[in-house]
Amino acid sequence: MRAVQVLVDGFAISSLYGLAAVGFTLIFGVSGVLNLAHGGIMVVAAIVAWAAAGEYGLGTYAGALIGVAAGLITAYATYLVVVRPIQRSRAIRPEETEIFVLTGTLLWGIMIQVGMAYLFSDNPVTVRPLVAGVVNIFGVRTPTNKILIAVIAWAVIGLLWLLVNRTRTGKALLGASMNPRGITLLGYELTQLYLIAWTIYGILAGIAGVLLASFLGVGTNNTGQLTASAFSIVVLGGLGSVSGSLIAAYVVGYLETMTAYLIAPTLRPIPALILLVLVVYVRPQGLLGRR
Amino acid sequence: MSFFRSRLFWIAAVIVVIAALLPFWLSAYLLGILTAAYYFGVFAMAWDLLFGFAGEVNFGPTFLIGLGAYTAAILNANYGLPILVCVIAGAFSAVVGGILLAVPALRLRGPYFGLVTLVAVLLLQNCIVIFAGITGGEIGMTVPDVLSIDADVNYWYALAFLVLCAALLYGLSRSAVGLILQASGQDAVGAAALGFNVTKHKIAAFCVSALFSGTAGAMLIFYMGTASINTVIDVSIAVQIIIAAVLGGRRTILGAALGAVFLIVANEFLRPLGQLNTFVVSAVALAVILFFPDGLIGYALHRSERE
Amino acid sequence: MTGEARLQVRDLGKRFGGVVAVKSMSLDLHAGEIVGLIGPNGSGKSTVMSLIMGLIRPNTGTIRLDGIDIASWPAHRIARAGVSIVFQHSRPLQRQTVLENIKLALLPDSLLRLATEASAAERARTIAEQVGLGEVLHRHPWTLPFADLRRMELAKAVARDPKVVLIDEPFAGLTAAEIKIFSDLIRTLRDEGRAVLLVDHSVKSVAALADRVIAMYLGERIAEGSAETVMQNETVRRVYIGGKIEDVERKAPSTARDATLLDIDEVEVFYGKANALERVSLRVQQDEFVSIVGLNGAGKTTLFNAISGLVPYRGAIRFAGGDLKNLSAAAIARAGVVHCPETRELFGHMSVRENLELGGGHLAKTVRQHKLAWVFDLFPILEQRQAQAARTLSGGEQQMLALGRALMMQPKLLVLDEPTLGLAPVILGLLSKAIERLRREHSLTLLLAEQNVTFALPHSDRVYVLDHGRITWHGEPARFADEMSTGYL
Repeated sequence: MRAVQVLVDGFAISSLYGLAAVGFTLIFGVSGVLNLAHGGIMVVAAIVAWAAAGEYGLGTYAGALIGVAAGLITAYATYLVVVRPIQRSRAIRPEETEIFVLTGTLLWGIMIQVGMAYLFSDNPVTVRPLVAGVVNIFGVRTPTNKILIAVIAWAVIGLLWLLVNRTRTGKALLGASMNPRGITLLGYELTQLYLIAWTIYGILAGIAGVLLASFLGVGTNNTGQLTASAFSIVVLGGLGSVSGSLIAAYVVGYLETMTAYLIAPTLRPIPALILLVLVVYVRPQGLLGRR
Repeated sequence: MSFFRSRLFWIAAVIVVIAALLPFWLSAYLLGILTAAYYFGVFAMAWDLLFGFAGEVNFGPTFLIGLGAYTAAILNANYGLPILVCVIAGAFSAVVGGILLAVPALRLRGPYFGLVTLVAVLLLQNCIVIFAGITGGEIGMTVPDVLSIDADVNYWYALAFLVLCAALLYGLSRSAVGLILQASGQDAVGAAALGFNVTKHKIAAFCVSALFSGTAGAMLIFYMGTASINTVIDVSIAVQIIIAAVLGGRRTILGAALGAVFLIVANEFLRPLGQLNTFVVSAVALAVILFFPDGLIGYALHRSERE
Repeated sequence: MTGEARLQVRDLGKRFGGVVAVKSMSLDLHAGEIVGLIGPNGSGKSTVMSLIMGLIRPNTGTIRLDGIDIASWPAHRIARAGVSIVFQHSRPLQRQTVLENIKLALLPDSLLRLATEASAAERARTIAEQVGLGEVLHRHPWTLPFADLRRMELAKAVARDPKVVLIDEPFAGLTAAEIKIFSDLIRTLRDEGRAVLLVDHSVKSVAALADRVIAMYLGERIAEGSAETVMQNETVRRVYIGGKIEDVERKAPSTARDATLLDIDEVEVFYGKANALERVSLRVQQDEFVSIVGLNGAGKTTLFNAISGLVPYRGAIRFAGGDLKNLSAAAIARAGVVHCPETRELFGHMSVRENLELGGGHLAKTVRQHKLAWVFDLFPILEQRQAQAARTLSGGEQQMLALGRALMMQPKLLVLDEPTLGLAPVILGLLSKAIERLRREHSLTLLLAEQNVTFALPHSDRVYVLDHGRITWHGEPARFADEMSTGYL
């Protein structure tokens, strides 16, 4: 009984972690940016979805869509207001650009967190389940919503895989992540490719935020934690490796769920942190990392 | 010796004298803010030594500060040891922490190392919550001893501490060792080719940064009389330190201290805005990064270099 | 020159993954001599220097300094033992003055020293004056001209009185007058009894300066002796220019149309302060095959990067009448100017087929399939290996892939940079035939940069010679054999 519960819960949360982490890793692979405002984007999506559905009475589905759109807009803002100006700044030495972008996104993330708390308060919000009802899995009653979330997460990941591996644009993105100069010499505009990457990222993070709110509830106080867990997963799996991120997401998701159920809920984030420290000391490039 | 005749020395001396006389004019409340700001200044200077000189981005300076603070607090509250012993012990444990942090630093590039420092803070935070029996958990703990009950005396302790640390750190930055550190941070390969053991120097930089951070953290505890996650460990504190150093200007040491004081005072003025003061401060820091990446003081220094 | 060598390198070997950079290299360096290490790109000369300095660890071999094996020592220890290096790219501390930069080199590796001794400042001043920086001691590096930065690098290297001085590309970016001054400075080092090893692409400058020359190719020593003997050596000439520049079989002059496709007009490129290209002008007509020949460091890649919009430049570059300066690099590629770079820039983790398909990404699907079949026909080995990851291919196969990918873009002008770099002679033949076939079956305008003259001449309608950033000769291949064969190397 317990085991099944752990299995199901772990699967659901891991799928969400996977979705969020894949976006994070994508933007690092293509754009070279470690976005510390990641949690902020998810939180914006979640809160806007809740507000649109409830406060503005647009209903759950419309609310969810608007939430995702809000996430996308926030992602654009992150790129156009913070990341790109820093990358193009002539006052910063090229070796230091990475660190400045990191600090810049950190500050931006804080601004988002505080701004949203100001506008909506820092109470966690939940997005109403997209599907009602309960399903029986091996004797455990699970809300259908939970299953749906995992299904949606995987559907999106599947779509992303199709995009990257089967479309010309996707291949160009992959090429840009491997060799920006090479892709330029083949006639693809890097600026366009970066915009596309951030668009995909914004949608992914937005969906992850909305789904997370539907599953666990999200508040502005979670912003840092969300960024930290995405960061941890991506480093574990290997920066720049999408499959690595997915595997790591499941490792972390299950570790956390098992800790919460079998040891104590308060110790939930610990095993992942310890694992992260071990990985960084022993194999810094992660499980499947390239860079 | 020529330093003592330089313009910088005289400006600094005037500022210190004015600062020392402030208790005769300001209220206890304002003095309290400045006191906290001065300790913050030491945090920021220690951070600048590590980043501006050794080239290592430490996203978790509060790991070192927290180690120093909590060690001192636990020893004082649970074992009744005198303040001086606790502060020294705090400094020592921070240095140990600094060495632990230095080991992966030497094998990892920038963003990876930054991540390790963040994780260190989170781990420390979680440890404190888990061992709530000893540490007071999320609520925090109180310490029986304090430096002084008098706001004026506390202020002078803090000011003296700040001036001492500033003198030491600044002197270090301008010394031969400081030059080697800068070379190690800017161009490790070039420094090695000139015969410098970069590893040794970077570990030393960590230890020095840890020493000052830990000591300051411990002193802060004995000023406030309490220790809690929110005041010495939380990531938001770490961010404030980074903002202070960035605002003031990297590699200037003194700029970081000024940035810290400016930041704390600004926070105070923005208090009526409630939550939004963090927003405004972050926005200003972001603007500085975008337009004055060398910080406000760094920018001013460069202007004078160009003339 | 004394009997026992100061520095003895034996069987030095280094591989990076699957690539063998240095293969069983041995050399002796005596006090009071200048040894020049020459060789085309990829021959391993710079790697040898880095290995001696301890910046990279060797896989095999020993490096003995006065009898002690330093091969496994860390760089800083080797530096303290009396070896120093002048890097190819200046690396000053920007926030410190010239004097402070040199003083740094005099500091002991101590954690406890806070004050610098007064004698250190004095000594730094003396050294600065010796290299000609006496007037600019208190200036900051970013205010100094290029040559002064190079002087400062030299000053840093000799500050601690080294026994062995390694100099990497001392003449890159310097004018002829500056080269002479630097050569004199290096001679002074030798006269002071130091052992000097230098590496440079400019064979002539090395020849004028070195007491002994060692030629390297593909990680090995292929010749050693006085400058003249080495430069006349058969193997060396073959490696540098592909063989004897005799009358290679030429096809009849092509019926090139008169339209000027590419017009390069007084182009100048600066890397920081170094002048990489000086008022270069050249022209390519429609359907022509033009070659630019020159040794490494001459500026061929810089010129091509300027054409492709990858580096900023002064002057004008016009393609089919339109100015390329306002277009982005990707737009220039789409306009038909396809650059196949020296570094190939393949997508290593993608398959051969995926690389090619990306090249044809702007074409309609049927056209792309058609072109793909055509490329496979041209390079059958690519069809065989189409599912393999690009980075697992051999050097020659990678070059074919790079060329094939460029052809997928249906170029109006194909700009090809050093395709023969590091390739075995057998592959050169394959490439040569492929290019011949391309010209025969399709109208293709080609601009080729090559060091290997024997490869370039047979196909070319016209030849330009690029030397130290300037065009020094221009004409038809037949005349090249007559006029340039002796002066080229």
